[in-house]
Amino acid sequence: MTERHKVNILMVDDQPGKLLTYETILEELGENLIQAHTGREALDFLLKTDIAVVLMDVSMPEIDGFELADMMRQHPRFQKTAIIFISAVYLSDLDRLKGYQRGAVDYISVPIIPELLRAKVSLFADLHRKTRQLESLNQELHALSARLIAAQDEERRRIARDLHDSVGQYVAALSMNNGLAIREADKISPEAANALRQNSGLVEQLSKEIRTISHLLHPPLLDEIGLMPAIKMFADGFSDRSKVQVEVDLSPELGRLPPNVEISIFRIVQECLTNVYRHSGSEKAKITIHPSDRNLLTVEVCDEGKGIPLENRLSMSLGKSQGVGLSGMRERVRELGGTFEVRSSNKGTTVIASLPLNGAGKGG
Amino acid sequence: MTRILIVDDSELVRNGLRAVLRANPTWEICGEAADGLTAIEMFKELKPDVVIVDFQMPGINGIETARRMTAIAPDVPLVMFTQHASPDLERHAREVGIRSVVSKTDVFPMVGIIEALLSPQIAPNGKHPPQQ
Repeated sequence: MTERHKVNILMVDDQPGKLLTYETILEELGENLIQAHTGREALDFLLKTDIAVVLMDVSMPEIDGFELADMMRQHPRFQKTAIIFISAVYLSDLDRLKGYQRGAVDYISVPIIPELLRAKVSLFADLHRKTRQLESLNQELHALSARLIAAQDEERRRIARDLHDSVGQYVAALSMNNGLAIREADKISPEAANALRQNSGLVEQLSKEIRTISHLLHPPLLDEIGLMPAIKMFADGFSDRSKVQVEVDLSPELGRLPPNVEISIFRIVQECLTNVYRHSGSEKAKITIHPSDRNLLTVEVCDEGKGIPLENRLSMSLGKSQGVGLSGMRERVRELGGTFEVRSSNKGTTVIASLPLNGAGKGG
Repeated sequence: MTRILIVDDSELVRNGLRAVLRANPTWEICGEAADGLTAIEMFKELKPDVVIVDFQMPGINGIETARRMTAIAPDVPLVMFTQHASPDLERHAREVGIRSVVSKTDVFPMVGIIEALLSPQIAPNGKHPPQQ
């Protein structure tokens, strides 16, 4: 991205002589200069190419500069294209106002001062280049973040599976052996029998802890039976551990969803409940998962806690850092082509994720 | 003799179960399978009286294995033996014909549960028949 990419500058004027003048002035910027002799020709270029700056005469036959700017502004693709008007005739304040109302970044009168025009065009060309670079970096960042989330999910799934397949089986076998030995505990000394019973209790405790860790890493019900039982089981376990009472309202008619959607919804619910426990001070939480009428699945987690602190809410509304939890959830939802919203007041917080049910998301 | 089929991907657990089931001398282990599809083949071939099935296994899981076994012979009692026992799993298990879910952390009830399932006083659905 350190390499300088040339940007396109479109010059629109019905007089070939003027176009030649602009070209001579702007040549040394080293950008791509494109000439259009009519408004229509300019539109053709705009539709086909990514244009950074449009330099245009106000007074032209057929489509004049103001009309061309109006057409451009109606198209979202050209919202960021810088328009500079040049005129020798329309120079009143009202004319200038009309120009700026159409989104012009500048309004230059003839005679042109070459250095000034060159400096202005150069500024907007650079701005365009930087915007494009930023957009491209942003896309890379989103792609990286999606890969990171997928890798984390996969790693958690693998560790949970390993825990179940190796450690879990050893502990299960230990527990069975203990059970058999305890049946014959009367044949050993009371001290030994006591130690055996203690061991049995310890193995049971160990087994519960492994099970909890494995379920938090990746719930087995999620892959084997589906999202709804996995969420119910997680909510039950969460209530037991945290003493936060969780109400679960899940749509009964919702069947299996693509694996990436199921894991994302599960993680969002898991993250929300963790936040309820850590930050909200709420004694209650509610999980609602229902399809809405617009072919969307709505996942809602709300609490009755003290809400997100005002300063954090302000920085969230300004798009600043929201902590890894919320941005991770937002990223998951974005990847699935959905929308994410957090509503918070001193009466509680509600997190709402809306996901397309038709598999419109990017993930596979 | 009552013939029992054990389905679990862990050899340790299968051996442990063998030892636990020795408590009743009228029982024999007629076969062991480490995955669901093999278990279904053995189920058809060996016609066991009771099946103990794990939940999480490679290939098809214990719920799916049980569903297919119930379709073949609905009266054979199936018991799920799992690390993941929970009310929700139990509900799913019952829907596919599993009569009982036993946790791997507490194997003690297993012998009593199988005895109760085989007892002539108890109907195949696990409920006592109405008094005549």
